[in-house]
Amino acid sequence: MIRVLKVSLMLSLVLLTVQAQAQQKMLSGTVVDEKGEPLAGVNIVIEGTHRGTATDFDGKYTIEASPGQKLTFSYLGYQSVSRSVGESNILNIRLYPVSRELAEVVAVAYGTRKKGELIGSVVSIDAETLQKQQTTDITTAIQGNVPGVTVIQSGGQPGSNPIIRIRGIASINASASPLVIVNGVPYNGNLNNISDNEVESMNILKDAAATAPYGSRGANGVILITTKRGRLNSPPQVSVRVSQGLSDPAVSFHKVLGAGQYMEYFWEAMRNEELYIGDSKLKPGTATKAQKAKAAQTATDGLISTLGYNPYGTLEKPVGTDGKTVSGAALLWDTDWKKAVLSDQAFRKDYQLNISGGGQQTTYALSGSYLKQDGSVISSNFERFTTRLDLTSQVKDWLQIGLNTNLTNSYQNNPTQGGGANRNPMLWIYNMPSVYPVYKRNPSGQLIYDDKGNKIFDYGDGKEGELNARRETFTMYNPLGNLYDDDIKYSRSNTDINGFAAIDLLKELQFKTQLSYAQYLFDVKQYYNSEHGDAAKVHGRVTKRRDIYKTLDFTNSINYKKQFGNHNLEGQALMEVYDLYYDRLTAAGEGFLPGVKALSSSTKPTQASGSPVEDRLVSYMVRALYNYNSKYVVEASFRRDGSTRFAPDTRWGNFYAVGVSYLLSQEPFIQRIDWIDVLKLKTSYGELGNNTTLLSNGSKWYFPYLAAYSTGFSQLDHPGVIQSGAVDPNLKWEKTASFNAGVEFGLWKDRLSGSFEYYNKKSIDLIYEKPLPLSGGITSLTTNVGALRNYGYEVSLHSVNLRNPNLEWRTGINFSIDRNEIVELTQKEFISGSKKWKVGRSLYDFFIREYAGVDPDDGYAMWYKDVLDQEGKPTGKREKTKQYDEATRYYQNKRSIPDIQGGFNTEFKYKNFDLYALFNFSWGGYVYDDSYAGLMSSLKSAAQGSPDLARRWQKKGDVTDVPLLLDSENQFTSTSTRFLFKNNYIRLKAINLAYNLPEDFVRDMGLSTLRFYLQGDNLWTYQSHKGIDPEQGNKYANPEQNLNGMTNHQSYPLRTISVGLNIEF
Amino acid sequence: MKKLFYTSILLLSIACSKDYLNEPKPTAQISGELVYGSRSGVEAYISGILRMVRTLDGNFNTGGMDAMYTARSVKGKDIIALGPFMWWIDDYKYEDRAATHARPIFSWKYPYEIIRHVNFLLEGIENSDNLSESDKKELAAQGYALRGFYYFQLAQEFQLTYTHNPNAPAPPIVTKPNQEDQPMSALKDMYTLIVSDLEKAVADASTTRLGKSYIDKNVAAGILARVYQVMAGSDPSSEYWHKAEKMAHLAYGGSVAAALDPESYGDGFNDIQNKEWIWGMPQRSDQTLYFATAPSTSSDPKSPGTSLYIDKDFVDTFSDTDVRNLFTENKKAKIKAKTFTNAKFTFSFDADMVLMRTAEMILIEAEAKYWQGEEVGAHDLLYALQQNRDPQAVKSSNAGDALLDEILLERRKELYLEIGTEWYDARRLQRGITRSAYHPSDIDLTANDKRFYLKVPQAEIDANDQIDESVNAGR
Repeated sequence: MIRVLKVSLMLSLVLLTVQAQAQQKMLSGTVVDEKGEPLAGVNIVIEGTHRGTATDFDGKYTIEASPGQKLTFSYLGYQSVSRSVGESNILNIRLYPVSRELAEVVAVAYGTRKKGELIGSVVSIDAETLQKQQTTDITTAIQGNVPGVTVIQSGGQPGSNPIIRIRGIASINASASPLVIVNGVPYNGNLNNISDNEVESMNILKDAAATAPYGSRGANGVILITTKRGRLNSPPQVSVRVSQGLSDPAVSFHKVLGAGQYMEYFWEAMRNEELYIGDSKLKPGTATKAQKAKAAQTATDGLISTLGYNPYGTLEKPVGTDGKTVSGAALLWDTDWKKAVLSDQAFRKDYQLNISGGGQQTTYALSGSYLKQDGSVISSNFERFTTRLDLTSQVKDWLQIGLNTNLTNSYQNNPTQGGGANRNPMLWIYNMPSVYPVYKRNPSGQLIYDDKGNKIFDYGDGKEGELNARRETFTMYNPLGNLYDDDIKYSRSNTDINGFAAIDLLKELQFKTQLSYAQYLFDVKQYYNSEHGDAAKVHGRVTKRRDIYKTLDFTNSINYKKQFGNHNLEGQALMEVYDLYYDRLTAAGEGFLPGVKALSSSTKPTQASGSPVEDRLVSYMVRALYNYNSKYVVEASFRRDGSTRFAPDTRWGNFYAVGVSYLLSQEPFIQRIDWIDVLKLKTSYGELGNNTTLLSNGSKWYFPYLAAYSTGFSQLDHPGVIQSGAVDPNLKWEKTASFNAGVEFGLWKDRLSGSFEYYNKKSIDLIYEKPLPLSGGITSLTTNVGALRNYGYEVSLHSVNLRNPNLEWRTGINFSIDRNEIVELTQKEFISGSKKWKVGRSLYDFFIREYAGVDPDDGYAMWYKDVLDQEGKPTGKREKTKQYDEATRYYQNKRSIPDIQGGFNTEFKYKNFDLYALFNFSWGGYVYDDSYAGLMSSLKSAAQGSPDLARRWQKKGDVTDVPLLLDSENQFTSTSTRFLFKNNYIRLKAINLAYNLPEDFVRDMGLSTLRFYLQGDNLWTYQSHKGIDPEQGNKYANPEQNLNGMTNHQSYPLRTISVGLNIEF
Repeated sequence: MKKLFYTSILLLSIACSKDYLNEPKPTAQISGELVYGSRSGVEAYISGILRMVRTLDGNFNTGGMDAMYTARSVKGKDIIALGPFMWWIDDYKYEDRAATHARPIFSWKYPYEIIRHVNFLLEGIENSDNLSESDKKELAAQGYALRGFYYFQLAQEFQLTYTHNPNAPAPPIVTKPNQEDQPMSALKDMYTLIVSDLEKAVADASTTRLGKSYIDKNVAAGILARVYQVMAGSDPSSEYWHKAEKMAHLAYGGSVAAALDPESYGDGFNDIQNKEWIWGMPQRSDQTLYFATAPSTSSDPKSPGTSLYIDKDFVDTFSDTDVRNLFTENKKAKIKAKTFTNAKFTFSFDADMVLMRTAEMILIEAEAKYWQGEEVGAHDLLYALQQNRDPQAVKSSNAGDALLDEILLERRKELYLEIGTEWYDARRLQRGITRSAYHPSDIDLTANDKRFYLKVPQAEIDANDQIDESVNAGR
């Protein structure tokens, strides 16, 4: 801290000596842009001299000059203006842009930059683009708009956060998620608590030059969210948006068998079991007629008792010994589980209000919104109320203060929609045969009603031996019962206060202090009802969890800005103190009266736990930017961070970045080329860190270096502790060295503009759970292991294809080719689930067994295995085996991440109509479809099947890739290439068609804008593998598993179509 | 200049203290010094380890010692696993034994987790300056007993019995915290460690304890009795029979009448306070394994998870007046093999789970006498138990092999669904398992069938530099 003070004092002393001498006459004025906004940092030079000055933060300048001298006003991206000094002592100037691109001011780390001076790789998503989509989490809007960023929607629960990876995966086991900064402060709430309505811009910082000011937290990239502000001297402006729509799953599901077909197939599976596994143990395909007849009889006789249910009512043997449904059999029910648990009419309502304006000194912006979005899984929903107020005031000519406050509440009914839990309704769609009813039936198949005449959910836990009473699987569960009678409710509340004061110490020197306090409350209430299901035994269970996050961030900086002729210098010295206090409290109880859900009504408290933790970071940062004549820009930054995540010895880390850019289009020889407006080269290099250590369940790990004894392992009344696991006391920062080079261009008056960038990131000292032999008693050790490289190319192009008063047509395309490579490991290789990690390979290369089809002789599945020599070494030859465990795992040269991904958009404006469409695509990745594997499981243990089972092996000589049906334990569907599919897709992510009412008409109504629109999200998807959604982000898993291409029975993202109205006055 | 001055004051006032980054500390953890600084600290670690002994690991059939026992129970011929819950079916069919399967992973990982903690405990006790020598001995004894017990489980699960081939490869031996990768050991070396650990435990263990889940002299002796019983095999001349007899006698106290309580046999096997229980795992509604409360979850016909049934031939061996005859016949059962259920165990989330009972020790003593040629003493002891269980029991006239078979049958009748008696006895006596025609699965095992043990988990092979794929050749 003291160091910062010294630096600032010295800086100010230096500056004081640079004060100019008084002579001639004092000329002053204000420089504004074409909109009348003050321009800071405009160069003013007296022609023929080396004397000059620049405008201050408010666009004001003073200079001594004598009449007749000529002043040149120049500003990057604007046409320079020359004026002679006349009689007046005031000279106000208005500048007009050459290229909007270069002059645009974008938010960067701890400040703003003109795009022309930007060295880092920063992509900005403005409010307009955001509002062309219907987001519950605004970061989903990054998808398809920003090259080099992978965004994957995780399921269909409204309000669920997408998985975001900027330029690959810089970390395996620490968090690989980007840092999120809202109005200059790290955000610890849930991103779904920010409404698109209140956001002015969302900037994605990708390379070291852009993120280095965040030092230890910059390695994964940064998302900067800036909320709306009012403008000085503008009348109040009110904007209202209202939209309503309907949603359903974005893609179609795998087809499943109906009850009739299912029973015939299951009959066959039973017969085969009887022939090949049961008593006779024949080799498939060798059974005699008599043996077959006997087995057929057994299957016919036992079908109903094995299933336990009979959708054919009292017909005792609905499937004959020929395997066909007997004539006259009529189904009493044929359950479509998908229809039962999903709604194809989920509602969406979105209301937004914005009021903003400003006087001479003060600006204000007030936003409010209400959103209600139902999910496709029945009872799932998300509801959110937001308000935000921004006030900024120029209190004195040297003092500016501002306050930004936010209050958000959201509620989410979040039934389980992923994973292997019996409660997951998605699992029912793909596992539960249609022969099982939703509602309780009596032994003869008739519906049973309760006292009030209502149907009763069938939990399949009725009397053993009774017909239509007891299911073999999912006993005690009914998806609708679980959805309606149980709750998994989340509620979230954000209260954020963020204030700043900026003091102009000198003309060139500003001190800024920003203090922010954010409180985020996350409340989970889980209720499992007392009458049915898995908690009925204990008369219901309530679990309540309350997490409180308190974030305090205090940033002080000294900002310096000075011009010497064509030399421009900016500097910043900053200190930041960050403190997160996180407290979780969990309590649970059992024993509730029906319908009572309050924890205090419990007869038996079963859990009370929780302990607070604190996470702190102290940082010092300095950076400097030098700009010569808007042509050459050099920037360097250095940051030193100390984090409580590491032991005192390894706590401090140094991070830096340097970058240069060269605006070629400022050179006369380029300026002579008519059609080039902008041409810029840039490159940067930096080293960044990552300290977000995670536990294996994905939650944050605050003290990964401490080996201690955890409390809470009591044995009845005796307090118990347990050694908390293996730790590496020397655990240190993950570091990422990041190189970036790019070219930006604008041609033909910006009719065509774009950029091309190459990046190369090497992450070393990765924090990873290194697998240990189980015989050591612990599965892994969290330590710094190995290195990863991410590299790739990013292309972004925008074109204005047509532009005339009536018609405008723009298109944009962006894509990236991202590669991931393991550079160093301490062990020769790791097996990580379906992948093997080895130097030179990607984290995402599938390493699984290879399916070798079905043996035509007996219908059994086969896989390849290596032929071994005498010493047990592979000979290079392969053979087929029917023993899955014997089969060899191979690299398949297939990755779960795509070869290329990106998006394209197009925008038409014709008279009062406008149309916007955004597509995103991903090409070359693979997905392992476990849902489909389940459906192809040969019906073992009476699981649901796919109509594709029609291709099954049935008799000796059948050539097919689908094994025989077999109601017996088998490994036909164990992980192999059989279910590994190419996962190319293109999605129409957003489409927006609007009609703006004619201006005259609108003005008569006292409005400035009246706009009707039709908005559609995810309306159309092309996919190379159908049946599941191509986006399979697994948010419950470790970071590296998020993109591992393994499905998890997740609900599908929503497709939404809405109509809306936008009024402004 | 004034502004600069005020700003400097402001900056100085916010300069934070040096300790700012040292202040945050874990609030739910304590240090090793505190643990090994006092007897109650070490006892807290022992309590923690015993709590871990009943930790849920993934599935309801892989959580706690009860899961390991129950998996063994269904591998015999008295129990039928038929669902609806699939928990034990793969064990029942001997199919859950491949390197990537849940059972081998659990049966390997779980004992090693406990052993790792015991290794920490033993090292911590040894290095502690604050514990008295007598406290050190007594506390370490509990650790040695646990380590011996869990290595004994590893030896049982991952190799054929000791007497079959003492040189056969057995799981790695790890006796220190954070030891480097260890290769497969030899079975005899593993037994040397087991015996040495348990002998130390029996010598030093206290006769009092914090609760019946903790280890005292009786528990240590009981474990050692089992170990000697296995090491003796079916060799009448083995020195271990004498040792087994002594240890079993010590474990139950020596008085059959005092050690047994026939009235409580039908009480549901859910109360650790039962005087027949030597050792168990307690539960409470806030400290429960939920549905992993094996075997009661799976065998109690009133439990929502019923999926274990009883072989009719086995039911027929019980007289009507036997207190252990707790079977119910469901004549309406659609599937024949689901006809007989048993009410020995009453399921609830707070049911305690049994690990060792006096009756087993009495029968070990009887068997040891038999092998040593004391048939009369053996028969008397057997009859004392039989009479206790069934007032109308008649003493048989069996002798020789028939008497041994009667003792073995009595073990099954007494201990069904407890410790996997059938599987355990078939292994140690190198016999097969022949299931009756009543079983839906008619898989039979011959003596020393490889399905009597499991493959080494792939995760161990992948991570251990000292073990490669060849370890599973022939398994």
